[in-house]
Amino acid sequence: MATSEIRGIDEPAAGVKTGPASANLQDEASWRWLTLSPTVIVFALLTILPLANMLYMSFFNVGWAQGSMVLTPVGLQNYRDIWGDNLFLAGIRNTLIFVVAATSAEMVLGFGLALFCSRITRGRTFYRAVFILPILIPGIVIGAIWKLMYNFDFGIINQLIGIVSIPAQDWLGQYETALLSVIIVDIWHWTPFCFLLLLASIEGLPQDVYEAAKIDGASFWQELFRITLPMMWPAILVTFVFRMIVAFKVFDEVFLLTSGGPGTATEVVSFTIYQRFFTEDRIGFGSALSVVTIFIVLMLLVLTLSARKRRKAGA
Amino acid sequence: MTGTVGVRTWWVHLLLIGAVVIVIGPVIWIVGAGFRTQISLLMGQFWFDPELFNFEEVLFSKTSEYLLNFRNSLIVGSLSTALCLTVATLGAYSMHRMRWPRWVVHSLLGWALIFHLIPPIALAGAWFAMFRNVGLDNTFTALILAHATLNLPMALWLMGVFVREVPVELEEAARIDGATTPALLRQVIVPLVMPGLAATAVLVFIFSWNEFPVALNLSLKQTATVPVAIAKYAQDFEIKYTEMAASATLSIIPALILLLVAQRYIVRGLTAGALK
Amino acid sequence: MRISRFGNSSPRVLSLLLGTSMLVSAASLPGRLQAQEVAPITIVINQSPWFEGFRCIVETYEDETGNVVELDVNPFAGSLEKQRNSVRAADGLYDILIMNSGWYSEMYHGGFVTPITDIDPSFELDPAVDSNDDTVYFDAATGSSDPESGKLMSMPIAPLIPLLMYREDLYEEYGLEVPETFEDLLNNAQALHNPPERYGIVQRGARGPHTVAYDFYPYLYGHGGKIFADQNSGDFTVTLNSPKGKQALDYYIQLAAEAGHPNTASLDQAEVIQAMVTGKAGHIMTVIAAWPQMDDPNKSIVVDKVNLTVPPHAPGYPSAPAFGHWLGGISHNVPEERKQAAVEFFKWYQTPESQIKFAECGGVPVSLAAYDSEISNEREFRWMAPMKKGLPLAVNIYTFPEAAEVIAILELELNRAIAGETSTAVALNTMAEQIHEVMQRYGYRTGMLEPLAE
Repeated sequence: MATSEIRGIDEPAAGVKTGPASANLQDEASWRWLTLSPTVIVFALLTILPLANMLYMSFFNVGWAQGSMVLTPVGLQNYRDIWGDNLFLAGIRNTLIFVVAATSAEMVLGFGLALFCSRITRGRTFYRAVFILPILIPGIVIGAIWKLMYNFDFGIINQLIGIVSIPAQDWLGQYETALLSVIIVDIWHWTPFCFLLLLASIEGLPQDVYEAAKIDGASFWQELFRITLPMMWPAILVTFVFRMIVAFKVFDEVFLLTSGGPGTATEVVSFTIYQRFFTEDRIGFGSALSVVTIFIVLMLLVLTLSARKRRKAGA
Repeated sequence: MTGTVGVRTWWVHLLLIGAVVIVIGPVIWIVGAGFRTQISLLMGQFWFDPELFNFEEVLFSKTSEYLLNFRNSLIVGSLSTALCLTVATLGAYSMHRMRWPRWVVHSLLGWALIFHLIPPIALAGAWFAMFRNVGLDNTFTALILAHATLNLPMALWLMGVFVREVPVELEEAARIDGATTPALLRQVIVPLVMPGLAATAVLVFIFSWNEFPVALNLSLKQTATVPVAIAKYAQDFEIKYTEMAASATLSIIPALILLLVAQRYIVRGLTAGALK
Repeated sequence: MRISRFGNSSPRVLSLLLGTSMLVSAASLPGRLQAQEVAPITIVINQSPWFEGFRCIVETYEDETGNVVELDVNPFAGSLEKQRNSVRAADGLYDILIMNSGWYSEMYHGGFVTPITDIDPSFELDPAVDSNDDTVYFDAATGSSDPESGKLMSMPIAPLIPLLMYREDLYEEYGLEVPETFEDLLNNAQALHNPPERYGIVQRGARGPHTVAYDFYPYLYGHGGKIFADQNSGDFTVTLNSPKGKQALDYYIQLAAEAGHPNTASLDQAEVIQAMVTGKAGHIMTVIAAWPQMDDPNKSIVVDKVNLTVPPHAPGYPSAPAFGHWLGGISHNVPEERKQAAVEFFKWYQTPESQIKFAECGGVPVSLAAYDSEISNEREFRWMAPMKKGLPLAVNIYTFPEAAEVIAILELELNRAIAGETSTAVALNTMAEQIHEVMQRYGYRTGMLEPLAE
């Protein structure tokens, strides 16, 4: 296995070294276009318009009269107003806490479970099927059911902790526990996502390296840090980035569990956007919020990726 | 399959069983809720006599069109997964193995990322207007295209990882043997990325199966999917927990079957990979 | 085949026959337009406890007239988005929009609803139908709901208001009287308060789309408080932080503290209702639409033990249930014949006969004729007498399309005050200030009171 194959997402394969030498350049040239064009077409038709529309609208106030749209240009006013929007600022703070806490826990748990699962020969099908169950359940059901489980008067969680004489808690209603309770639901819901992807990646690793390590008498930890982790970096990074993005968009759970309360303790960004964009129908301001959110997440991603690059350069 | 250095199997099983209990507890609670009366669920009673009327209500009552919703979800889920994976596998292969200039690959993946950052609910209105303008609103085509697009960034990135794990040497050998691109894709790439393809397919299917805001906006009665039906049980004045749980229980089935079937492909893909 | 009345049996049979044959021929000739006088219509509505009743009445309409009605039923979350999609497109999908009190004014102001009398000048609202605090009328020039200068925009569909539900069995056991004033309510709630087995009253305090604010209105208006000075005359001076407003909020919190649930600040509507059906509440004040759960043995252990009355009030002020009602409006962007067909449906819907049938089907009628009918004496329909008393007193809270922004402010600050995070005076002053800002931004004639001493 050539080490050049283990490559991060920030450096896509290009150039002579990575493409196989082709016997038929003509064939390759046409197939090159044919294979990429579906992606380009889908993106061009279905993503550029909505995004461009959003960017455009963020410079207007949108109203309606006599059944048609009335656009009032306001320049950068919508962007200036964002800094006075208390819900959005609280949302950013909570979302960052939520994303960091939930994503790290899910990655660690998912990787651990995948690693263990890959080490057994019997029952792997069973474990995989069980661990995947939570992502099969629609978010709205998860919200409703966990809300019942967290219920103060008759929820199963208070019943269980009552057995060991811990007083009943108002999990979703207390400032101290509300965000944590939402994070726990998210960990339960999304660890399987990390597990499934990381297990697929572990299973795809070449066996000869492990056999060689075995012969050399490598310990479990040596094997983990010297072989498994380095070879899995691309998969780990992609899983992490995807989980992070989806966590940033968290909505379903908050919508049914807390609606952002108590106060603004569980207000998250996409909930604020939903509130401003849809409930209040402020399309211009809501678009500006979306644009700023995208910008913030992009910054975070750049930071994550460059941290990894530095780490790699140092290694 | 992988090394078993230093870790005893029963230990691993014990840990995994512990995780199983945590994961499966709430699922059993949800499935169980489908067999209870609402008042028994609300009273927090532990034991209950299972009854089937929630399932009857969901499947056969006059206002529920669950079987129709189920069929719609199957159509949308499977076709959008097929479309999404075809586009993504071709695209990922092209981007990572066909000598595109860096900027092309970077901008496509970067765009995928930016697009993926938008909350889907913010796209729903714009897509509705687009599809209505071309007369595609309230059709499966619209919903399939929308779901394939929503999941394309994830599929593209994941398939990128899996495609890059395919050793270049194998590809070169096939080229030297005179394989054309389609033959190469069919005989070398796809078998080798099978575990990844299967995992991606499962995820794309599940995301499409559970997607709510876009499905709601792009569908009418005849094309509504399962989550739209389930959401109807969360009403303004009443959450019908037990009907909701029953319909959620039923909705788990296809994805679970898919997962069990896909396992075989994952294993087959692995063996094929080992044999090469 | 324009037959809008029933009761006369021969046209009814004729229309049934015609309707059936039309259906048969329509089914056998797909794609070909049928020559018929009343076009098929599509109604967009959301799933709710009273939807079953509406579906039943629509089926009755189809059976009696042979006209075709399609119902597009949506989850509550998202039904507004679907209506917006339709009315903002070049041609609409839906002919009749079933609009909530939270968004009807957005539809009126945006010009998305065609006045009924513009479609059919002969149309008149049945005198027995409650005008829902005149919200069916709209004067586009002033934005007010003045029945004199305004046009008839919509037909009341479900006049939902909150009522006080109390445990009748416990009232007898403890020898309590049905409460008239807020003081009575506090005393009765304290009498039934026995935590944690049972709370005297369970109130909403959670932040939500329209949650704690909606439950607070009967207390605010019942104490003589108001959010705005006079919306109908265009005076949007914010009067929320008046001494009466403070009295109301102090009372709401006192009730929770002395006879309520310890976690009032985190309770939403579903949990309030759950408390009642599980026997954990002596009183709840909630929307009539939640009523059917109380008497359903699958959902409740207090079947036949609950009764209702209008919300209490402070001495000298009337009871003030707040409208959370549904209105039917005809979409502006649908063909004329479908608009006509929609008016036909309204004509039929408002008749006393239809409304009594609607009640029997499980709906909440809009016509006082239904509340005066014999069925109102039956135990099963014991909610009808308080509805009849409450409807004429009910108040509509907002008449302007930007109300969602005001509601969001109320939800957050009321929640914080009930959680004890801020004092009532600070909460009221903050809300007033922020609401004033919103009204100013949209150019309404507005002003503020002296802030309350904090």
